[in-house]
Amino acid sequence: MTDPTSDPRLTPDSSSDTPPAPEPTPAIPIMTEPTSDAPIMAEPTLDVPVPAEPAHPAQTFIRFDRVQRISHLVLLISFTVLAITGLPQKFALSPLSQGMINLMGGIEFTRQIHHISAVILLIASIVHIIDLGYRVFVLRYQLSMLPVVEDFKHLFDDLSYYFGRRKRKAFYGRYSYAEKVEYLAVVWGTVIMAITGFIMWNPIFTTRSLPGSIIPASKAAHGWEAVLAVLAIIIWHFYHVHLRHFNKSIFNGQLSREEMEHEHPAELAQIEAGETSKPVSPDVLRRRQRYYFPIAGVLTVILGVSLFRFVTYEDTALSYVPPAETVAVFVPITPTPRPTSTITPTFDPAAEVGADTWAGTYEALFRNRCSSCHGVTAVGGLSLATYEDALKGGNSGPGIIPGDAEASWIVKIQSAGGHPGQLTSDELSQVIEWINNGAPEQ
Amino acid sequence: MLNRHKISLFILGSGIITLAIAFSFALAWLSPGASAAALAQSTPPTPTPQAGSATDTSTGLLSIDDQVCLDCHGTPGLTMTLENGEVLDLTVSAEEHRVSVHGQMGYACVQCHTTVGNYPHPPFQAASLRDASLQLYPACQRCHASQYELASDSVHATALENGNLQAAICTDCHTAHQVRRLNDPETGELTQEARLAIPETCAKCHSAIYEKYLTSVHGSALSEGNADVPTCIDCHGVHNIEDPTTASFRLNSPTMCSKCHTDSELMAKYGLSTNVLSTYVADFHGTTVALFEKQSPDAETNKPVCYDCHGIHDIMRVDDPDHGLQASENLLVRCQRCHPDATANFPTAWLSHYIPDREKYPLVYYVNLFYKILIPALLGGMAVLVALDFSAKVRSRRRKPEVTESDAEVSHD
Repeated sequence: MTDPTSDPRLTPDSSSDTPPAPEPTPAIPIMTEPTSDAPIMAEPTLDVPVPAEPAHPAQTFIRFDRVQRISHLVLLISFTVLAITGLPQKFALSPLSQGMINLMGGIEFTRQIHHISAVILLIASIVHIIDLGYRVFVLRYQLSMLPVVEDFKHLFDDLSYYFGRRKRKAFYGRYSYAEKVEYLAVVWGTVIMAITGFIMWNPIFTTRSLPGSIIPASKAAHGWEAVLAVLAIIIWHFYHVHLRHFNKSIFNGQLSREEMEHEHPAELAQIEAGETSKPVSPDVLRRRQRYYFPIAGVLTVILGVSLFRFVTYEDTALSYVPPAETVAVFVPITPTPRPTSTITPTFDPAAEVGADTWAGTYEALFRNRCSSCHGVTAVGGLSLATYEDALKGGNSGPGIIPGDAEASWIVKIQSAGGHPGQLTSDELSQVIEWINNGAPEQ
Repeated sequence: MLNRHKISLFILGSGIITLAIAFSFALAWLSPGASAAALAQSTPPTPTPQAGSATDTSTGLLSIDDQVCLDCHGTPGLTMTLENGEVLDLTVSAEEHRVSVHGQMGYACVQCHTTVGNYPHPPFQAASLRDASLQLYPACQRCHASQYELASDSVHATALENGNLQAAICTDCHTAHQVRRLNDPETGELTQEARLAIPETCAKCHSAIYEKYLTSVHGSALSEGNADVPTCIDCHGVHNIEDPTTASFRLNSPTMCSKCHTDSELMAKYGLSTNVLSTYVADFHGTTVALFEKQSPDAETNKPVCYDCHGIHDIMRVDDPDHGLQASENLLVRCQRCHPDATANFPTAWLSHYIPDREKYPLVYYVNLFYKILIPALLGGMAVLVALDFSAKVRSRRRKPEVTESDAEVSHD
């Protein structure tokens, strides 16, 4: 975020091949002895008169003041964090992005870092607006960051130089067209990102008045603008201030005389010709400040509140997804009972239950103890389902011979023991007694 | 001092450059199709029912013929009264067993009922009919160990362990004596007939869900005999049926739906788009879910998956006149479940699985187009100027190696 303003200076005519000012002694040397980053000046005061002394290569010029340098640092950090947290979101499906998101603690945390960095960048933008107002309205600096016709001439000069039609590059003033392009790109980019960011941050508010497709459109613009910004920084910014020549002025605020000659010859010439603005007299400065400070205060409050609303405007979504279905899970269908054709014994209504007769006792006893084999299936030809069947017996002989228990095969088999449906000895005694009594049916 | 600055700045600069180059590589990965496929691959496939791996280990008892058992147990009326007074029917229909898959393959009673080969049988006691089934079903494990093992990881087995005796065991779905053949012996695939019968099987316990399912686009097609549509097991699995209320089930569900919905052959039959997964994953919701699924599959997220909008068992056609999501007011109702303050314009913030073009979402299309032109034009211009400047710089250095750079540039000759 280099500042668009500077001391008002004449723009030297650089259309000729001659540098506007001839070499040596500067009329107003700004600062001597670059004892590293020691003296930091609050304003880009190229006009602080220092006792003149002969120029030498160690002479330095203040280029950026403290506000500008801190602003740049904040921009650098927040932009880098925004890019690192943002681009993996745009290209979320690539393994590289997923690795980065994982390293940053997952997508939700990555988004939080992104949001915090965005707020920091917006605070820096507000500071920049207030500071810019001060420079323009109080200090009355020129808007030297705005493009002018001169810049196109410089571009043409440079192209001529590249193609060998000219001996040297254009004579840049305080800001070259390369720097202006970059500054304006940052302004454009920040505005686009802030608007589309707001829309994505507050989609419900946005769609109250705008069509819904503005949301995905903002997402597309936000992502592509990010790609554009990052690649522009890599191609344009890195080349001009890192690769072509390592320019440290945005960090230490200074440019050497050699660097000035090299990169801002027209500005150097102006400085050395004394064509810099007169310092504003303290009275005038105070009067202007009296107007500006309240306005700046109000503006700061408005922008600050806007930023706060930006972040907190709406609760977009619930923090959980309500259950999609509330249907009861376990609702068994009542099972249809398995059809079982149980044999229903035909009871004689006259029979006395418990009487010592077939119908009263022995039919039930044989059904429970013997019918598995000697029921319908009649294993060995013997069925004990009815009195007649029992009398008839099976393959060996009659089952029951009334009056003669010993000859009855039921008794013979049971007395031998070990039969699958073995009666207890009490039951067997009872059966023997019943048979010997004539085995009455009723 | 100066050098140190220079070095640290250089390190900072080159660090940023490296990152930036890495980002530009990331661009190259931007291919929605490939990415969606990656998502699909990342999840284990739902096990398809396997051919019953019948490994008989009970040869010692084969000597006891089924007829021996049927002599008694073929008789209707053979019952046993259990401790709670319920009556256990001990009769087995010889015919039912004969037509069951086990009967067809010639398996004998005693291969499952391994303890009752002798008579009298060892004492059997059960508290209830359910208790009797629970005592007997582990017999299935002897031949169907892998299915039994899968089932023991299921939500049913967990419920059973937690004391819910109604939780399904093998015989609840397969029955005991009427086990049907479910897969084609040659392909190992479920037969169409078996697929069509699945929902009814589950409905034995989950009848309310079944009723819902029958109203859905899938269930109604199935009840018309269309076996293409998912039945219960296509989403829930077969034996190792997962708890569908977990975070991981939710996060995995888009992959589950896309098994069919990215199958171009299947979707072509019904004129459905196969872009539904890639367009979902490209959106804010889907991106989040895809990342969660990969990086923290057990974490809850408040971003919706397919079924949060389309429904679970009652999935409707999108052009359903009453509930179809194609109608903005129907979609709004879905949006409002998570975005209670959403208003009428809100649903179109979602691209409805469309890829923006001149007709659908032209605003998004033209924003993309704008940047597709702006980015190469602007960056190309910058790159040309940078390249020209750099080559001029190299040239001037080579020409005058002894002269310093700034001298070279300000010299007037």
